[in-house]
Amino acid sequence: MSEKPMHFHPDGQAALVELLFQLADDDFLIAYRGSEWLGLAPHIEEDIAFSSINQDTMGHAAMYYQLLEELGLGAADELAHVRPAEERRNAVLLELPNGPGHYLREPRYDWAFTVVRHYFYTQAKRVRLESLRKSAYTPLAEVAAKIQVELHYHLLHWHTWFVQLTNAPGEARTRMIKAIQDAAADFAGVLTLGARGADMERWGLIEGEDVLTEKTIAALAPAFTEVGIEWPMLFGMKHGNGRNGEHTPDLDDALATLSEVRRAIPQAIW
Amino acid sequence: MGKEQGFYHVFEVFSRRTQDAPLQHQFSLLAPNEEIALVMAQENFMRREPVSDIWVVKRDYIRRINEEEKAALKRLDNKDYRLTRGYGDLKKRWRKYEQIVFDEKEILSWKGEIRR
Repeated sequence: MSEKPMHFHPDGQAALVELLFQLADDDFLIAYRGSEWLGLAPHIEEDIAFSSINQDTMGHAAMYYQLLEELGLGAADELAHVRPAEERRNAVLLELPNGPGHYLREPRYDWAFTVVRHYFYTQAKRVRLESLRKSAYTPLAEVAAKIQVELHYHLLHWHTWFVQLTNAPGEARTRMIKAIQDAAADFAGVLTLGARGADMERWGLIEGEDVLTEKTIAALAPAFTEVGIEWPMLFGMKHGNGRNGEHTPDLDDALATLSEVRRAIPQAIW
Repeated sequence: MGKEQGFYHVFEVFSRRTQDAPLQHQFSLLAPNEEIALVMAQENFMRREPVSDIWVVKRDYIRRINEEEKAALKRLDNKDYRLTRGYGDLKKRWRKYEQIVFDEKEILSWKGEIRR
């Protein structure tokens, strides 16, 4: 990079960088998990719609990595592909595998878990974006406004699946309830802003995590009324707090796969 | 299909590019109900182009003309009298009259009356 890096207030820069890594890594990992469904979704129409959403989400991650690049943190592609698990700031819920098996060998992926995880995450993301539009860091506010445009469709898509599967009789409802419990067990990890959350709020980068959590719960409430399940429920961080760099071995596997080509010939120009 | 036939239905997808553009048939897709059909329609057929309106309708709800009824579509080729081809040279005629020079001799020849 020959251009002079952008900057925020020097004392607030660390909080800004932390926030951007959370936003970027969240979108990047859930888009990656989503992309593993390619060819495996319940029917061909959904396969296309879901792939398109994953590409959108990967694009959102790219915009956040770009902001980090402009702040002098390194090239966006490097930030996405090369950073090891302990440097990742994504919520653990988003790195968990889609289910047993492997996408190349006997995938036994769980569509119910995918629907719930994506629906929960997309609602939390929408609330965050709403807040980010007023961020003190203008380039971030501008990116948030852009991403918001695509969130309407993502929400419509996941809300439709969530309500229909949960209200379907028999196995579908049983599996959805189990998936809701599994997602809730790690949803606190999505809602937290980590150790620098208070700084992020103080510097006007985003609202505090309590406010965001309350708004996310409220955003999910109507769907739970539709499906007749008590809400809110207890949220946990069963598999660790990704904002602190705590991750599962599944993240190592995911990073190894997604960076395989990048690592094969690091000097290659794309 | 067999068992699936009762679950998935064919939906026809229509869309408008802009608010006042004509409704265009896009494609058909399989979905269990109209909400899913609508959600699938957008990303399957209007992912890379602007769209301002989407309609989906279950194919079962469309009354189509059947093979037998297609006989009613036939017409004799003797409908010249219904066609407006006779007006085809109007533009040319206008041009001709617009080009006539109204000189003094011409105007005097009208004898105070406007000649129509």
